Amino acid sequence: MSAQPLPHRDHTPADEDRLRRELEHAYREHTGLWGWLTTVDHKSIGKRYIVTAIIFFILGGLNAALMRLQLSRPENNLVGPDLYNQLFTVHGTTMMFLFAVPVMNAMGIYFVPLMVGARNIAYPRLNAFGYWVYLIGGLLLYAGLFTNTGPDTGWFSYVPLAGPEFSPGKRVDIFAQTVTFTEIAALVAAVEIIVTIFKHRAPGMTLGRMPLFVWAQLVTSFMILFAMPWVATASIMLAMDRLIATHFFNPAEGGDTLLWQHLFWFFGHPEVYIIFVPALGMVSQIVTAFTRREIFGYPVMVLSLIMTGFLGFGLWVHHMFATGVPQMAQSFFTAASMMIAIPSGVQIFCWIATIWAGRPRFSVAFLFVLGFVVLFIIGGFTGVMIASVPFDRQAHDTYFIVAHLHYVLIGGAVAPLFGAFYYWFPKLTGRLLSEKLGRWHFALFFIGVNLTFFPMHQLGLDGMTRRVYTYLAGTGWGDLNLLASIGAVTIAASVGVFLINVIRSAARGLRAGDNPWEAETLEWATSSPPPSYNFPYIPVVQSRSPLWNRPPDIPVVTGLRTDMREVLITTLLDARPDSRHRHPNASITPLLTAVATGVTFIMLIFTPWGLPVGGALLTVACVVWGWPNRKEYEEQKLQESS
Amino acid sequence: MTAVRPALDASTLPTTTFSHRSLAWWGTVGFMAIEGTTLFIAVVAYFYLRRNFAAWPPEHILRPDLFWPTVQVILLLASLVPVVLADRAAYRIDVPRLRRWLLVALGFEIVAVVIRWQEFLALNVRWDTNAYGSVVWTLVGFHTTLLLVDVLETAVLLGILYSKRRLERHISDATDVTFYWYFLVATWIPLYVIVYLSPRFM
Amino acid sequence: WATFRRRQPGEVTDSPGRERSLRFSVLGATALTIVILFAFLIADLATGRAITAGPGQDALQIRVTGHQWWWEVHYRDSLPQNWVTTANEIHVPVGRPVVFELRSADVIHSLWAPNLSGKRDLIPGDETSLWFQADTPGVYRGQCAEFCGHQHAKMAFLVIAEHPDSFARWLDRQRDTSRTPTHPLARRGQEVFLASPCVMCHAIAGTPAGSRVGPDLTHLASRRTIAAGTLPNTRENLAGWILDPQGIKPGALMPPVRLGSDDLQALLAYLETLE
Ligand code: HEA
Ligand code: HEA
Ligand code: HEC
Ligand code: CUA
Ligand SMILES: [Cu+2]
Repeated sequence: MSAQPLPHRDHTPADEDRLRRELEHAYREHTGLWGWLTTVDHKSIGKRYIVTAIIFFILGGLNAALMRLQLSRPENNLVGPDLYNQLFTVHGTTMMFLFAVPVMNAMGIYFVPLMVGARNIAYPRLNAFGYWVYLIGGLLLYAGLFTNTGPDTGWFSYVPLAGPEFSPGKRVDIFAQTVTFTEIAALVAAVEIIVTIFKHRAPGMTLGRMPLFVWAQLVTSFMILFAMPWVATASIMLAMDRLIATHFFNPAEGGDTLLWQHLFWFFGHPEVYIIFVPALGMVSQIVTAFTRREIFGYPVMVLSLIMTGFLGFGLWVHHMFATGVPQMAQSFFTAASMMIAIPSGVQIFCWIATIWAGRPRFSVAFLFVLGFVVLFIIGGFTGVMIASVPFDRQAHDTYFIVAHLHYVLIGGAVAPLFGAFYYWFPKLTGRLLSEKLGRWHFALFFIGVNLTFFPMHQLGLDGMTRRVYTYLAGTGWGDLNLLASIGAVTIAASVGVFLINVIRSAARGLRAGDNPWEAETLEWATSSPPPSYNFPYIPVVQSRSPLWNRPPDIPVVTGLRTDMREVLITTLLDARPDSRHRHPNASITPLLTAVATGVTFIMLIFTPWGLPVGGALLTVACVVWGWPNRKEYEEQKLQESS
Repeated sequence: MTAVRPALDASTLPTTTFSHRSLAWWGTVGFMAIEGTTLFIAVVAYFYLRRNFAAWPPEHILRPDLFWPTVQVILLLASLVPVVLADRAAYRIDVPRLRRWLLVALGFEIVAVVIRWQEFLALNVRWDTNAYGSVVWTLVGFHTTLLLVDVLETAVLLGILYSKRRLERHISDATDVTFYWYFLVATWIPLYVIVYLSPRFM
Repeated sequence: WATFRRRQPGEVTDSPGRERSLRFSVLGATALTIVILFAFLIADLATGRAITAGPGQDALQIRVTGHQWWWEVHYRDSLPQNWVTTANEIHVPVGRPVVFELRSADVIHSLWAPNLSGKRDLIPGDETSLWFQADTPGVYRGQCAEFCGHQHAKMAFLVIAEHPDSFARWLDRQRDTSRTPTHPLARRGQEVFLASPCVMCHAIAGTPAGSRVGPDLTHLASRRTIAAGTLPNTRENLAGWILDPQGIKPGALMPPVRLGSDDLQALLAYLETLE
């Protein structure tokens, strides 16, 4: 069978049918369980990534619910310190490493290829590998918690508390390896997303025509590339201190406890923007679609995203003011922390201008954006307050910080994410989420978040330190804590409504059609849910809003092979067609390689033999990965001969 | 579906590309960025920990030996010759030459791994002696991991190039392996200066 | 969904005038943000400067060492026999700056008395310091602010700011070693103490007990709380603590000690003499 370049004439419906059939065949995955284990389709993997992250969100939320139950009364005896410390550590670790970062990556994995008009993500097998490694990391953490071996030293696990002397046992090892797994997953996702954006864009989609969500994912991926290695290195050093008696963090042998803090926060601060920046991209897409006009100040928006990405690396010491930072450094980090309010502010102003000048449609996705604006401004303002050293020396390590971090994380990332779920759910499933339940979800969520976290500002100012499993009755903190706990129940109820909405709408929701919101970006050009090959024809993009400025006959690319997964590679800046590349077929190797990685790191917790055993397994995995099997060989041969 | 109009014909585009036009190259650059950052972090840790010691290396610890590390640097520089030649052969799609020079390069790489063993011994300290020992072992160890990865990659690729499964794509992949080797040599020179020379001269 | 009003998407484009007014608003808001931030920054730096001004010459030096989960407080003097060690209670004179040398015996802690000063970490292998001056006499509650393990929640302390004279008297009293009790029950209590595991961890000046694993008990009875601000220092609480520290502070580094009730009563009587 040889490739039929599409004839250069107008396409008839019959042509299209044939094209679809052939692509269907080329992009077919295995069926059943085997198909599930071997798929390399970015949509299948993206979807399961999102679902897994939401499950971890619920687990992390259940930890929080238990914590709130314990704290609802002074001197409560429901949860002792040993369990409480595991709960807040696992809560923080889950929310940061297993929910927030992965879910943002997952949205990128699912939507970036669709939004740039690609057939799949770059390095599809690596993508599958990343998911499995992430899953193994998450399972490890919860296997720990359920066997009473959950980490208990906080999500930033300061040494020496987390070192071998003060935390014997396996708890912190589980923390260190969970972090390592999730960092590997995030790093490979970042590389895939960058290369997808750089080399897989539809022709004509110059950098200046990319949707803002794609820009946000690009900035985030670069931040991941340069931030995650810091925590990965730190966690490896910690694991080595604990397992093979190195002395990185042991002051008795010349090690340094503050080294850990610098390494962690040099990652940790960018981390919060790694969570926040993709959310900004989501907000921009939703605002555009629901005000039905192009975003005001697109170049400024792009610049703000990039600036946030850069400045994010210059703030880490503001988490360490209480350690006694020299005056000069204090001023520098305070100033830098305040500077970063500027790009955030600029974006907020541009959205407001867009909404002002547009014709907003108050659907649920848009409501979540409005909720985001309110919550994030509150959290941003407290952020600027604690950037000031004299204030932070009071607020640091109190519930004021807990309030700040939840306002920015929940307001700045979770609210836009919920908005994005309402916005993109139809693309994922072909059905709309119920607006009626959605409004309940939003109302409960907005009230619950404020009820839970607003009183925490006051608690912090009253002197309630964070990470305490109980407090004395004489402190008078009982009432506000009870209020916060009631708020947590309200948030849980809102999440419950959301889950019901998802389950009901997935089965019985209104059919969506290709473009229910009449939005402007390419993911809405294909059917809902998209076919395995995403687009029958790769479109040629001519503007920033391709579906709004649609000419009567859409220019498309022809001549790509349809008997295999051939994709179009374009140039970096202006997306001119440059070459053709064959993407791999379904394969079990990613899973096997992930298992080999898992065995290596988990075995290392128990014995140094993990190194040779893991090394051998990984070697085998790499050989299998690199060696073309017969089908691949034949397809590639065919491609190269055409 | 709206009407479509064929506007661009992709069928004439090449399938094998080199350097920044090839996807494998971008992957390699991505991982170099990650690994380069990791090595940089270890260097930061080295200088950070150094502030805690009055003497460097700490008292009662011998300075690192120079013999094997210096031999290693010379050999690494020499290894660039076959690597460059392999690279050129690949760009010219000259498979026999590519195979030959890549094989020589692999030989150099394996020798580098063997010498690396001596370099660990030349540190004159154990990783669990003190923080100095921990950080120099880690610096050399990280680089060794990358070295092993490259040996494995080169070997697998050579295997493919000699096998019947050879494709044009693998010729392009070979240039990424050589590219990676440049990276390893380029990162080792500063590490050599920091780990082996700086305790003597700084 | 049927109520969804149909509008041409992307139809909204701005007239040049509109565009200009939008741009003006956004620029204005941004400029305002920058101005506010600058004002805030300057205020911050000024406050920071004021706070970090030095404590001056006549400052009192106190060394505080953090332990899991209590505070060792140490007053130095030119004469070593005048050194004073106590726990969980920091007496300071009002109107005079106090400099704290902060150390840690194990993990990172953070000294924080909210109404007197900001917090400062106690970092193993690294000496940090903090100074403040109390102007109003009173009892101020403080708390460890950096998470330090199981009983981080119950690692509190009291700062007792008093008139310089009464501070001097207090310090003087603390310099005394304990006297052998006169009351027979208390005397027996001392024997119980010295024969029990207590001596492995606690010091009482004037007796052979000299271990520094736990808080110094020489002047225990003069303190207001026990177990780092967890309980008021009463006889019942003391008894409860000695019999079952793990019930009160689960994970605390003091094991429960088995004592017959006679021995316990004697021990309590003795501890109460440690003024
Ligand atoms: C999504 C996550 C996110 C985001 C976006 C931010 C945003 C900011 N954060 Fe926050 N932060 C966290 C997550 C986040 N943070 C977390 C998780 C922690 C705690 C970690 C831990 O200890 O566990 C933390 C802790 C933290 C600290 C350390 C506190 C301590 O431990 O003592 C500091 C100190 O400077 C800080 C500052 C800031 C600042 C200045 C911003 C700024 O970027 C905010 C800028 C935004 C605005 C200001 C609002 C919008 C702007 C306008 C409407 C313009 C007008 C504004 C002005 C005129 C001011 N954050
Ligand atoms: C994205 C990040 C994120 C999110 C979303 C949350 C969400 C929540 N957080 Fe969390 N939090 C952190 C990140 C986050 N947190 C971090 C980083 C820390 C610091 C940790 C540390 O100190 O190390 C922290 C710490 C922290 C503390 C301080 C603990 C302490 O210092 O002692 C508290 C206390 O109240 C808290 C509460 C909550 C609550 C009530 C929610 C709620 O919003 C959660 C709401 C969700 C649910 C309640 C789940 C819903 C479940 C259902 C509806 C059940 C249905 C189930 C089935 C049908 C099976 N969090
Ligand atoms: C293994 C060590 C150990 C032993 C044995 C021990 N203690 Fe303790 N003790 C401690 C530690 C550690 C603390 C501080 C606990 C805390 O507050 O977290 C403490 C605290 C106390 C306190 C409170 C001091 C204060 O000022 O807060 C008293 C009183 C006390 N111990 C009495 C005793 C008596 C009496 C015995 C013997 C019957 C005893 N201890 C045996 C380690 C020990
Ligand atoms: Cu000591 Cu917290
Ligand atoms: Cu920060």
